[in-house]
Amino acid sequence: MDSKIIKKEKLLSLLERFIADYHVLAPVREDGVLFYRPVDIPGDIELNPGRSVLPPKGRLFPQTEALYGYRVEGEKLTLNEYVEEERQVVLFGVHPCDLRSFAVLDAVFLEEPRDAYFAARRNNTVLVGVSCSSVLPECFCTTYGISPVEGNGADIHLTDVGAGAYLVEILTPRGKDLLQKFESFFEDNVAGAAEAKRAKEASLVKKISLQVKVDGLHEKMASIFENPYWEKLSRRCLGCGVCTYVCPTCHCFDIMDDGTKEEGERFRCWDSCLFREYTLHTSGHNPRHALAQRLRNRFFHKLSYNNQRYNTEGCVGCGRCVALCPVNIDIREVIGTVRGLV
Amino acid sequence: MGVSNPLLPRVATVVDIIRETGDVNTFRVVFDDLEEMAAWNHRPGQVAMLSVFGVGEATFCLSSSPTCRDWLEFSVRRAGKVTTALHELEPGAKVGVRGPYGNSFPYEAMRGKHLLVIGGGIGLAPLRPLVNFMLAPENRKDYGKIEIIYGGRSYNDLCYKEELFRTWPEAPDVTVWTTIDVAEEAWQGHVGFVPAYVEEVKPTPEDKFVVICGPPIMIKFTVKALENLGFAADHIYTTLEMRMKCGIGKCGRCNVGARFVCRDGPVFSLTELNQLPQEY
Repeated sequence: MDSKIIKKEKLLSLLERFIADYHVLAPVREDGVLFYRPVDIPGDIELNPGRSVLPPKGRLFPQTEALYGYRVEGEKLTLNEYVEEERQVVLFGVHPCDLRSFAVLDAVFLEEPRDAYFAARRNNTVLVGVSCSSVLPECFCTTYGISPVEGNGADIHLTDVGAGAYLVEILTPRGKDLLQKFESFFEDNVAGAAEAKRAKEASLVKKISLQVKVDGLHEKMASIFENPYWEKLSRRCLGCGVCTYVCPTCHCFDIMDDGTKEEGERFRCWDSCLFREYTLHTSGHNPRHALAQRLRNRFFHKLSYNNQRYNTEGCVGCGRCVALCPVNIDIREVIGTVRGLV
Repeated sequence: MGVSNPLLPRVATVVDIIRETGDVNTFRVVFDDLEEMAAWNHRPGQVAMLSVFGVGEATFCLSSSPTCRDWLEFSVRRAGKVTTALHELEPGAKVGVRGPYGNSFPYEAMRGKHLLVIGGGIGLAPLRPLVNFMLAPENRKDYGKIEIIYGGRSYNDLCYKEELFRTWPEAPDVTVWTTIDVAEEAWQGHVGFVPAYVEEVKPTPEDKFVVICGPPIMIKFTVKALENLGFAADHIYTTLEMRMKCGIGKCGRCNVGARFVCRDGPVFSLTELNQLPQEY
């Protein structure tokens, strides 16, 4: 693996070049809250971002996305397919847990038949990863073998190694192209950067407050579907669905029409398995009519079904659902309880 | 995006609307692009998405046989938003179609075997393509006897009356038993629920596959009756219904356990169902 160094002031001028040549999406603060947004000014970007409220998956799978338009003229009905724009997007500042979530989403959306919208965006996105600069109380990425300083899944990955310098790891052919295109911004790797990265990893991992173990979890899940635990857990769940909206691996969507019978658009938007309407049949029958069934389905999806279906874990340990649940339902606690159930 | 966008429907025209019952119509649909029509292939038991633009899209089973190359048929009960909009259409109306999706009845494994078809109400819709596929001249020799036990709430609630009372009974080696839930003055046939009628008819399990579709309660009691008659779980097939949006395993909602009904179903054997959570 090739690596370089970039100085902080050079990084800012590189971002300026990125803004000129690409659409840049990067972490910015709005009223103190971190979001991934289109950026015009490098100085707006958080170079060592914390955890965004919404995951960066929206670049690949937007919260609302028009799929195609339709128009009736006389006897003729025309469908107008929306095509991804030509200009590439640089998605800057993605943390290791969110980088992993892209692989989880790939398994769903790129499985045949491929989702054309996701595939086009994926293909048109350059991913710049960034190592974590801090650990939040809800973080547990290491449970899933993720390191807060490793950029697997990114094209290039940055780690702040101190003294105003970032270690730049080039991880894919696309990353290599990017580096070649902007070669003058980078310097040769210096002695000590790799060690600084390892030291950073050690200090971050030590700060992860709850070491969650998942050994034997898949086998255990298979036998506790009918356990009364799910009903008990659901008594405090509000069914608000915030956990699904902030989850970087949740991929459910609804498809709806907006328009008249003559002209309009069909679009999709994020949906949540915690909502009653999600599985409600037209007949009135609802296979998951009780909140306990829906909450159980969510945890089974994250902790068992995703792995059964795609051979990849459905949770990346980002901690967003833990941080934002209004009634403190904590997936780490659920994992622990489930492992102890008989 | 070009050639392959599985979420993009193909434009089609409703060429005929056949009134089956008070609230079920069969829509006969032809793609506007004749090459699309020629390229379309489905297997018995598969589903497709039907669109009324400006209203929405919903999943329906194909009720026409794969051997019919001239059009597709969908039998639709008026119940919700999209189905009501479909019922308001007139011949000539434009719709969207995408698919086919899902697996099918195991018509390959059924070769050389007899078939027992059990349907209730509009539940005959997904079974009809299988029957008509087997009865097609080019396929008939590959299959044994076909027995059909079918019931509805009333005579008016029976679908496909032409086939039910004429085409199928007149075909060689086909026996049809029909029943209605409550006696009617003009009805000379059997009265009673489907599971009870199955117990009366006493079909034998030798060299036979069973396909069942109908209301969940009918399926439940019919399966019990079949098990008492000696039918094995791996020879009993049914179709599951779940709400679907994409049809291609992305939108999430049709999961039963780790299986997606749109990809791994809608057809499941009783053996498979016994291994899934009872959440459908």
